[in-house]
Amino acid sequence: MADPLGAIAGFAGLLRADGLRVGVAEQRAMVQAALAVPLNRVRLISPAWRAIACHSARDWNRWPELFDRYWYPHRVRGTVRSHGVTRPTKDLRKVVSALQEQLSEASNRGRERTGDTAVNDVQAALESFSEEGLKRAQGGASLTDPLHDRSASQWLPQDLERLQHLAEHIARRLRRRLTRRWRNDARGHRLDLRRTLRASLATGGLPLRPAWREIRRERPKLFVLVDVSRSMETHAQLFLRIARALVLAMNARVFVFHTRLAEVTPLLQRDSAHVQEKINAVTAGFGGGTRIATSVADFHRVHARAQLARSARVWILSDGFDADEPQQLALQLGAIRQRAARILWLHPGESVPASQAMQAAYDQIESFHPLNSLRDLAEIARHID
Amino acid sequence: MIDLRAALHRVGYIADEGLATALWLAGELRRPLLIEGDAGVGKTALALALARAQDRDVVRLQCHEGIDLAQAAYEWNYGRQLLAIRLHENTAQTLAEADLFARPYLLERPLLKAISSPQPCVLLIDEIDRADEGFEAFLLEILADYQITIPELGTVRALHVPQVLLTSNGTRELSDALRRRCLYHWLDYPSLAREIDIVRATLPEAESALVDQAVGFVQRLRHEDLGKTPGVAETLDWVRALHRLAFKALPDDPEGLMATLGCLLKTREDRFQMVPARITQLLEGRRKGVAADTV
Repeated sequence: MADPLGAIAGFAGLLRADGLRVGVAEQRAMVQAALAVPLNRVRLISPAWRAIACHSARDWNRWPELFDRYWYPHRVRGTVRSHGVTRPTKDLRKVVSALQEQLSEASNRGRERTGDTAVNDVQAALESFSEEGLKRAQGGASLTDPLHDRSASQWLPQDLERLQHLAEHIARRLRRRLTRRWRNDARGHRLDLRRTLRASLATGGLPLRPAWREIRRERPKLFVLVDVSRSMETHAQLFLRIARALVLAMNARVFVFHTRLAEVTPLLQRDSAHVQEKINAVTAGFGGGTRIATSVADFHRVHARAQLARSARVWILSDGFDADEPQQLALQLGAIRQRAARILWLHPGESVPASQAMQAAYDQIESFHPLNSLRDLAEIARHID
Repeated sequence: MIDLRAALHRVGYIADEGLATALWLAGELRRPLLIEGDAGVGKTALALALARAQDRDVVRLQCHEGIDLAQAAYEWNYGRQLLAIRLHENTAQTLAEADLFARPYLLERPLLKAISSPQPCVLLIDEIDRADEGFEAFLLEILADYQITIPELGTVRALHVPQVLLTSNGTRELSDALRRRCLYHWLDYPSLAREIDIVRATLPEAESALVDQAVGFVQRLRHEDLGKTPGVAETLDWVRALHRLAFKALPDDPEGLMATLGCLLKTREDRFQMVPARITQLLEGRRKGVAADTV
């Protein structure tokens, strides 16, 4: 084994390319672990490196596949050779053995070469590996992930992860608004006289530990109304995934509508394989057609009556084809606007919905955005506040 | 690491090889270990077992919303300082400010206690996801350098680096900075064999057949779409309850089990979902499982 450090750096590069946050510190720890594990227990390298390189449940779940892809490619089904460059041997046992031999040779030569000093070479190996990776990318397939524009049916777990990040970004972008309530805060600006006096009892009546309060800021409530009618059949899955990400990121409330409206927030809060089935069950009794105005009326009169306050956001994900009277939609959206909520209309396709009902309701809607992919969602995140 | 696994086994905690390796590595690299997993899978129990296995004290910091430095690290004993001032008012001795901000007037909270412990200890920072983000930032100094800076006293460095375990249920996303300072382990629900071992180690008095069947039932129950999936703690509670009720094995009649299912199903929706017919199906799964095992 000529270059065990290079092999480990290559593995770290693969982990990085797949989204794991593995820096020089992690590589250093991986080499230290490889030096500490006895040669007859090489199988423990995987759990040891897993503990070092993984920082979340997502990383944790992906580890077995990533580890096998690099060290045991024959175990991975459907493996293809992506380029013709000969890579160094990647036999894990040989790598660990060579690393430990290097250490003992250095010790024999009387040179103080510990795991710490040995891993300093990793950075150099890493840099050369990264450069090589970039060159390869220029010669053939780009390293830039083309999945950004993928349609919902082609999504992979990493796309769902990216969606969640986008939803969290949206949650951060929504400006917190001031409320009339105050909360306890050690760095607050207003003295909490009651708590200060109470705390002073412990110090003989001297208020040595003042208590402070700060005005409370809250994120606006987000309501997502997803059209699951037949005309939206191909888009509903994408919209529900986005809605679920928003539920997880900022406790959005999600409703599906068709000819009637039903709340599905509790179903989306669970990480369950049965979510789609349950939503299907909820909407199964709905008749044909889409009654957007009736559903919106039901939404603001019954379901969100108490929460549709100032700065609430209502996102409607629909193509705008409404079976109700054309003027009704404008009336119902107007009722929401009267409660100072802001309405965003997200539609499939590139063009703004132009049905008769929509034309009448244009004035009530703050803005329209196409929503066909993650790129569109990222664009929306840039424009909201 | 084999020793560590065996030591944990001796104190009743059945760790798999991956977990034992992560614990061993955390000790070797002197890095904190962040353990995530669903509620009831044994995260806190691991820290307590580790302390028992290594014959160390465990210092526990239970995190909650609003936890601050005074509750986590240290606090000046204002009452005692005032008393000292009053006592010196009628004496000729002068009292310097430095005298008041000295170690005797410092109240040690868990983090400082762990850092200044004269013996190596296990520091359990429990449910870190419940603490505020600002508190995480404060932890960084301790987790990276095992030291706490007290402005009036200077920097207190650890006499012995404690073995730090952080647990999280994932109710809030932790910061990257905190994650990168820790090794990581995801503690999943145990396999059938491991859970049987855990229950047998904890409840040796329970009938063997009862343990096997009850654990098999819980394993199948975890595949149901429940709001709150039962963890190992729930399994132990349930087997304990069944044992107290003098069950030698799971009864065929689901009605006999319904009264004890409160140990496993903790929400109204879950109880509502698990009707006797569904329980019967899960029990029948037991029979199939036994048949498959014997084949």
